[in-house]
Amino acid sequence: MKNIIKLTEVHKIYESGTHALKGVNLEVQEGEFLILLGLSGSGKSTLLRCMNRLIEPTSGEIEIDDENVITAKGKRLRKIRRHIGMIFQQFNLIKNMSALTNVLSGKLGYVSLWHAITFSIHKTDIALAMSNLQRVGLEQFAKNKARNLSGGQQQRVAIARALMQNPRVIFADEPVASLDPATADSVMKYLGELNKNDNITILCSLHFLSLARKYGTRVVALKDGNIVFDGTPNEIDEKKFKDIYGEDAEEVEIR
Amino acid sequence: MKMKKKNKAKAVIQSIATDLLFWIYIFGCLYYLMHKWTGFTAKLHLIGIAALLATLIFQLVRGSIGVKIFLSYAKVKRSFYKSAWGYLTIIALLITFVVGVNIVEVDFYKFFTKFQNAGGIASGIFNPSITGYSLSATSINELEKENLPPDVLSTLEGIQNRKYSTKKVFLEYLQKRLGESTLQKYRSTILKSAEKNTELLNIALSALAETIFLALLATVFAIPFAFVLSFFAARNLMPRTWLGNIVYLLVRTVATIFRSIEAIVWAIIFSVWVGIGPFAGMLALMIHSIAALTKLYSEQIENIDSGPVEAIKATGASTLQTWIYAVIPQIISPYLAFTIYRWDINVRMATIVGFVGGGGIGLLILQQQQLLRWHNVGLLIWLIAFVVWVMDMTSARVREKLGGM
Repeated sequence: MKNIIKLTEVHKIYESGTHALKGVNLEVQEGEFLILLGLSGSGKSTLLRCMNRLIEPTSGEIEIDDENVITAKGKRLRKIRRHIGMIFQQFNLIKNMSALTNVLSGKLGYVSLWHAITFSIHKTDIALAMSNLQRVGLEQFAKNKARNLSGGQQQRVAIARALMQNPRVIFADEPVASLDPATADSVMKYLGELNKNDNITILCSLHFLSLARKYGTRVVALKDGNIVFDGTPNEIDEKKFKDIYGEDAEEVEIR
Repeated sequence: MKMKKKNKAKAVIQSIATDLLFWIYIFGCLYYLMHKWTGFTAKLHLIGIAALLATLIFQLVRGSIGVKIFLSYAKVKRSFYKSAWGYLTIIALLITFVVGVNIVEVDFYKFFTKFQNAGGIASGIFNPSITGYSLSATSINELEKENLPPDVLSTLEGIQNRKYSTKKVFLEYLQKRLGESTLQKYRSTILKSAEKNTELLNIALSALAETIFLALLATVFAIPFAFVLSFFAARNLMPRTWLGNIVYLLVRTVATIFRSIEAIVWAIIFSVWVGIGPFAGMLALMIHSIAALTKLYSEQIENIDSGPVEAIKATGASTLQTWIYAVIPQIISPYLAFTIYRWDINVRMATIVGFVGGGGIGLLILQQQQLLRWHNVGLLIWLIAFVVWVMDMTSARVREKLGGM
């Protein structure tokens, strides 16, 4: 197994002075389903966004798929990004466009500007988008506007959009935090499937230990911008959990 | 410690400057009033000296407005003169009000007693000229066949081809010339052969069309400019590099300046540039609309949900692709709403712009008003009111449907 992600001493200091990442070192192997744990504000979102440069890291080295992310600019950065799918807590779909168009927008990293301006879309892309919608079980909603879909459905459209990129890696930033427990599990199930069947490496931040145990192959916990735990999900016991989430934390079981 | 001293020095200077300006204003106002009421004159530098003295006194007792604003931490024991700033504020407000009433020449007596001066326009509004009356050559021929006394006939021949705004105006004039009893006798005969015309109505309607279309074109031509500019005037889209900041500031500043120059001023400029007429009016409204829409549009962009922008960027899309797929879909319906609203405003402004050479119904009102044809003015006012009312209603309906504003 080869390393697909390699982070060396990554720091992020925001303009406000917040030191969000304090020298993170992390190696992720191809095919892992890595769960990021940690309190809100511990640096999970910042870490994920630094890896595809939605946020500029202050210092450090980041390598994804043997490409140096830090020095990449313009076209090369776009090329790196198009192999990284991203899923967000708020789904971030374009609300007044159809599910199909939203899925198609995942292909933007591949098409020329002219095609984007004229909205000319290749037939094979439409077929691919439909098959991706089918994979997340939403082919009958292709023509529906994204705003008319439920939260779980919207997140599945977002997964189909990420699939459209033909990704090597998917970053999921609290993908189930605004969903009810049952829907959350079904969304995680789709991510798990992609991980197993398509060999897509997944980095997913979560708050529920139960989901982490069910789907994760590895857990990394952040606290105040430092990695405080790195191991398998089953290694997290009561004491480790309190280390990560603070003394007052109680594990909440959600099934 | 040094820093603190510097800050204090700055606060003292600010406080003294505030007081000085305050007292110059107060003494200036008092001088204005005294001069107006009693004809009292004095050397103007005396105001400066008096202000300086007052500043000194109130700074020393630490009771002035400047001290209150900038040196409020210097709290000493509370004495009546330490809260003098409160009384000073009230006095300043009172003086301002009195001076204001004098400068504006407020005169309620005139307001309540001189209404009859506006009688012409009032009767014009209540009796607008929809059909005009005149005696043409054929009318006179017809009247000659009737058995009219020769003096009546010659009077009528005297006003051949003269145009009267309304039936009422026509009859009032005849009554003046012929006397009431004579007019009553031949009233129906004269009215039968008098010619009615809708000349003014025709002119007014075409001027109205001119106004509506010039407002429409001004809006339509403004859209592409404002659309492109709004992206550069949106803080969240412009990168925070020096170039991004310069472009953002430049577009914002120019738009603000152009917006603060009223359309009527632009109309004066363009009526000299391209000549009086609807084209000048259109250009004036267009410039003003570009500036106004750029601001409204860019604020709309600043209010968009940044989530989809982030998501599209993460797929590897270029900046322009991100704008097309993540920004435009979010702004298209508020943009439409704003644009329709702008057209609505432009129709209203087109009337005013017409007064200074912008063509359309405004120009027609100006002409009729200068000829003192109040009944014609009345018709024009009704037409404008009707169009503005219809535009207002439809634009509100459409905007509601679009879900904006």
